[in-house]
Order: sequence, then structure tokens, then C-alpha cells
Amino acid sequence: MPVFKLCMKIIRKHLPSMMIYVVIFLGIAILITTASTRSSSAGEFTQTKTNIAFFSGENTPLVQGLKKELSKTCNFVELPDETEKLQDALFFRSVSYIIRIPKGFTESFLNGGSATIGKTIVPDSVSARYTDLAVSQYLNIARLYVKNLNGISQEKLVNDVENDFSTDTPVELQASAQTASQNDFAVYYFNYLAYTLSAVLILGIAAIMLVFNNLDLKRRNYCSPLSAGSMNVQFILANFVFAMACWIIMVGACFVLNPDALSRPNTLWMVLNSLVLTLCLSGMSYLIGSLMKSRNAISAVCNVVTLGPCFISGVFVPQEFLNGTVLKIASFTPTYWYVKANNQIADLTSFSYGVLSPTLFCMMVELGFAAAFLAIALAVGKNRKRES
Amino acid sequence: MVIKVNNLVKRYGDLVALDHLSFEVGEGEVFGLLGPNGSGKTTAINCILSLLKYDKGEIEIFGKPMSPTAYDIKREIGIIMQNVAVFEELTVYENINYFCGLYISDKAERKRLVEEAIDFVGLNDFRKFYPKKLSGGLLRRLNIACGVAHKPKLIILDEPTVAVDPQSRNKILEGIEQLNRQGATIVYTSHYMEEVEQICSRIVILDKGKVIASGTKEELKSMISLGEKITAELFSLPAEKLAMLRKMPGVASAEYSDRLLVVKSEKGKNNLESVLNFLHSENIRYGRIYSELPTLNDVFLEITGKQLRD
Repeated sequence: MPVFKLCMKIIRKHLPSMMIYVVIFLGIAILITTASTRSSSAGEFTQTKTNIAFFSGENTPLVQGLKKELSKTCNFVELPDETEKLQDALFFRSVSYIIRIPKGFTESFLNGGSATIGKTIVPDSVSARYTDLAVSQYLNIARLYVKNLNGISQEKLVNDVENDFSTDTPVELQASAQTASQNDFAVYYFNYLAYTLSAVLILGIAAIMLVFNNLDLKRRNYCSPLSAGSMNVQFILANFVFAMACWIIMVGACFVLNPDALSRPNTLWMVLNSLVLTLCLSGMSYLIGSLMKSRNAISAVCNVVTLGPCFISGVFVPQEFLNGTVLKIASFTPTYWYVKANNQIADLTSFSYGVLSPTLFCMMVELGFAAAFLAIALAVGKNRKRES
Repeated sequence: MVIKVNNLVKRYGDLVALDHLSFEVGEGEVFGLLGPNGSGKTTAINCILSLLKYDKGEIEIFGKPMSPTAYDIKREIGIIMQNVAVFEELTVYENINYFCGLYISDKAERKRLVEEAIDFVGLNDFRKFYPKKLSGGLLRRLNIACGVAHKPKLIILDEPTVAVDPQSRNKILEGIEQLNRQGATIVYTSHYMEEVEQICSRIVILDKGKVIASGTKEELKSMISLGEKITAELFSLPAEKLAMLRKMPGVASAEYSDRLLVVKSEKGKNNLESVLNFLHSENIRYGRIYSELPTLNDVFLEITGKQLRD
């Protein structure tokens, strides 16, 4: 297989320039991994407490029981009972909830009256909403006892309510709730992969093409007893092996950096998407190699063809932030469909055909691009052969 | 016959590049295709190698018709192209090994042949060099090594000494003679008549795609009317003395300009002694004086009316 071996030697000769892209890519991937590991709290559950101020006009067992129950989810902050200071405390988020129990509340509550608790909150605050829930829950349970057990003492009421609240419900976070955040790394990684993969494939395949398009070498090879068919098969095989090696190395690095990714179906679909992109980029590299006549031109075209689409397709800047016109232009590049498919895959929680069909459509478009690139490259090659 | 070309016609549009070209090359010959640039030498070679389709004619190599898929024939041919065709990405050794590998699949045998080829062209000290680092002459030698490493029976060299320094040129010509002594049949194209004269046992002179003369160098030279050419540096030569020279027996012509006297003899005549005697007897002082036999350029000049390198 002399032609195959020759192709491999040509690639080896151009390895340093390709490695620059790979090393930068892996460096960035490691940074992403580190960052995502540091902030990966999405899969964990930690209870936090809300800062509240508690003012009461009486100190009955019921009020004490409420305060005790709230202490499980709230920190009581001591504040002077002055309107201005309380407003400042709310404004600066020292507290997010101020609870005020009026005098006579307990008596009215036990008699079934319409006793109300005063509250001042930070508007639209989630923690205030949870505190509201806690207060309402306590009082609703207590009211239930008061209504159904006539003459129940405050001590018994508080005890019974406390018993009810002492039962914990185990909470388990389901995978679907974690998917989006856990796929963040994979999305960053696989989206950025488009840039590195295209740069490396263009540099490698176009370098081989450039050598084999040299007319003198072509004629010299043609004089040998090796058939044109055998030469083409070896040539295509070499390009295929190179493309697959690049893909395996880069995808493999994802699983080395983030072994858990292997167990998620989302990542596996991204891997498939990257394989489709690899085929498409191989076709594009083949076309560029057919058109180029010098090594310097390849480097220049490589930068334009890789950076340009990556900028407008959402590789570096998420597609959500890109202008509609820009995305429309980007839709004429395979990278756009690749990134779009990746983003769709990241949000998937089930993998039925119906859910996957938009993603599969994107992949089909990528394959369409591959076929178009190959067709143009073959036409260019045929034309050039006729000219020479 | 190793090569038989019969009635070959190749046209590029209206231009007739090869006009009913016919010649034969026998086994063990060093066959020269001589002609000025554009005479059709490379086109003929490309047709022989099936690199070009031709409009008419037949080409046989080793008694079999040559075609693009005649791999058995191709296996026995070594080709050294006019332009250096080597891979910039491979070292000297790797280049030779690659081209040899197109013909020889056995690794051990190929290794031996590559070593022999490196020795043959004298590139031992440069085996790990990349082509970019080689001089023009060394590149040409590498080109030759790539073409002959597999020990072919027929070697076709298309102007292998273009833009080569004299030292490398001599080395290349010696190499070709050596290959011929080892049994290879050589087809050598050039527009350098001295080279063709030096190494070729039989020569075909081409002009405008046609064979205008063929034969051994002696046969070619005997085709023209001129014989020996005597050149002498004289300080002065009166017109009446020049006229006397022109009337000497066996002298075809005598011209004097820029202090150089050129006396051309008739075919088969040698006049050096009589010219020297004349100069002594007439007391004409001279500097350098030398005699030359006719060259292939003279043959070409007489047949076509123009110089080979016009």
C-alpha cells in the first residue's frame, strides 16, 4: 500500500501545524471541565435558610410553636422595630421577610376568628414565597386541629402540629431535572469541536490533495504498474482513516475529561452528530484541496473557512445571542446545522423518533452538504484532468 | 525490438506535434532523440508512456502494444521526467523507497535496491535530506534514482540534465552509460547535441514532429557535405591571401573576421597540414589554431538551415 503509506507520511509531516489546533482545543476543553466541575451544584440538594425578622405582640405557646417551626427554614435577624430601618433591611436584603403577629392573635385564632398576621416582603422574592408557604402550612394544620378538637389546649395543639411536621418526605432528584446542566460541558465541547475538527481536517486532507494534484507527480505515478483504481482506493482509504482518527481522538478526549458523559444518551447522540459533521468536513476539505494550488493558500483558506462559519453558526457565541439575519446566512454552512442539532440534543429528555426528528433532519442537512461538496470536488477534478 | 513506434500522429488542435513519426529502439541500445525545443521529443515520450492519447499510429514495447493498462510493460520501464517529480514531504531515502515500492512489493529486496540506487547516484551523504535542501544537480540525481531504483529493462530519460551544473551532468551521463552496461536499454531525449553525441549509439533528429535524420553519429555526419573545420587566430590576413586559401584543393570555404580565420573542408578532406604550411610559407603570424570534425549541430544546420538551439 505505497500510496496509503505516503499519505500517512504527508500527514505526519503536517502534524505540528495540526497539533496547534488540537492542543488549543484540549486546553479550552480542560478549562471548561474545570469551570463546570466547580459550579456543578445542579445535581445536589442543599437546604438553605431565609433571613426574616419576627415581631410579636404576644408570647403565647402557639406563637412560640410557629417561631420554632419557622426556625427550621429561617434565620431570625434582630432588628429595631423602626419603619425606616426595616425598609432598609428589606432593601439591602438583610432580611427578605418581616413577620408581625398582632396582640390577641392567639385568642382570635383559637376562637375561629379571622386573625391575620402582618407581613412585609421583598417583592417577587422566592425565599419570601417559601416563608409564606411555611407560615400558611403551620397555621392551616393548627386550624384543622382547632376546628376538629373542641377545647384543645395550646400546648397540645403545638405538640400535635410539631409531631405532624416532624415527618420528613425523602426527595430524590430525577435525571431529567439534571440533564440540561449536565449537558453543558458536552454542548460546549462538541460545539467547539466543529472549529478544531474543520481546521485539522482541512490542513490534513488538503495537504494530501495538494501533493497528489501536482501534475508531475501524478504523471510519474501513472507511469508505474499500480493501477489508477488501486491508487484511488488507497488515497481515499488514507483520507478516511485520517478523518476517523481525528474524530476518535477528539471525541475520545471528551470522555477522558468527563467520563460520566459516556453514560448519557444525549452525549452519545452528540457523538453521532460529530461523526456526521466529520464526514461533511472531509468532503469540504476534499473540495478545498482540489481547488488550492499552494500550501500558503491552504492556511489562509483554512482560517477563513473555519473561523467564519464558526463565528456566525454559534460555535463561539451561542445561537440564542445571534441575530436572525446572521443565522439565516449561517444556515448555508454545515456548522450551523451541526450546532443546532447539538443544542437540540442537549435539551432532550426522551429519545423517541418523534422527539429526535428535528435533530435527524439537521444531520441529514449536514450529509447533504457532504454530498454537495464531494460532487463539486469531483467536477473540479474532472475539469482539471481534461485541462492537463 | 524494445520499442517500435509506427506512423505516430499527435495533434493539438491545428498544431501537428508528431507528424507520422516512426522509429525503433533495439535491445541494449542508447537511443537518442535529438531536436530543438518544441520539436516533439517530450510529446513522443508521453505517447510512448501512454500519458497522452495520440491520433494515429501504433506503439509497441517489448513486442506488446502499449496502453494505459499495460501494467506488465510499465513494470519494466523506468522513467525520468523532464521536471523533477519528487515529494517535498519525504526524505531522499523515502522518495526512492516510495517510487521503488510502486514496482517492488518485497520489503527486503526493495531496501537493497534503494541502497543501490542511492550509491549509484552518489547521494549517500544526503539520504536524510528533504528535497528542499538539495541543489539543482542533486535533485536531478534524486529524480534519476527514483526512476531507476527498481532496475528496469527500459529507461526513458527526458532531458535529465536541464539546468544542471557540469559536475552533476558528467555524473548523470556516466550513470546512464553504466546503466546501459548493466543491460538496460536507454532512450535519451535532449537538445544538447554534445550529450547525445557522447552517449548515444543511435540518434534520431526531430524537427516539427518529423524525423529529419537518423542513424549512428558517424552516419549522420556523413550525410552532410562538410568535413573538417579549421579555426585559427590571426593578427591580420590580407584579402589576396584569403583568396589564395579559398583556392586551395579540398577547401570548401574560408572566412576571416574578428581576427578569426575559419576554413571549412570538403567532405572527407583534412586540410590542417596544408593550412599550416600555407601560413608558414606566407609568413603569416598566428596564435591558437585547432581543427574540429563536424558536429550534430552542423548536421541539423545543413538539413534545416537553423541551429539546434534556435
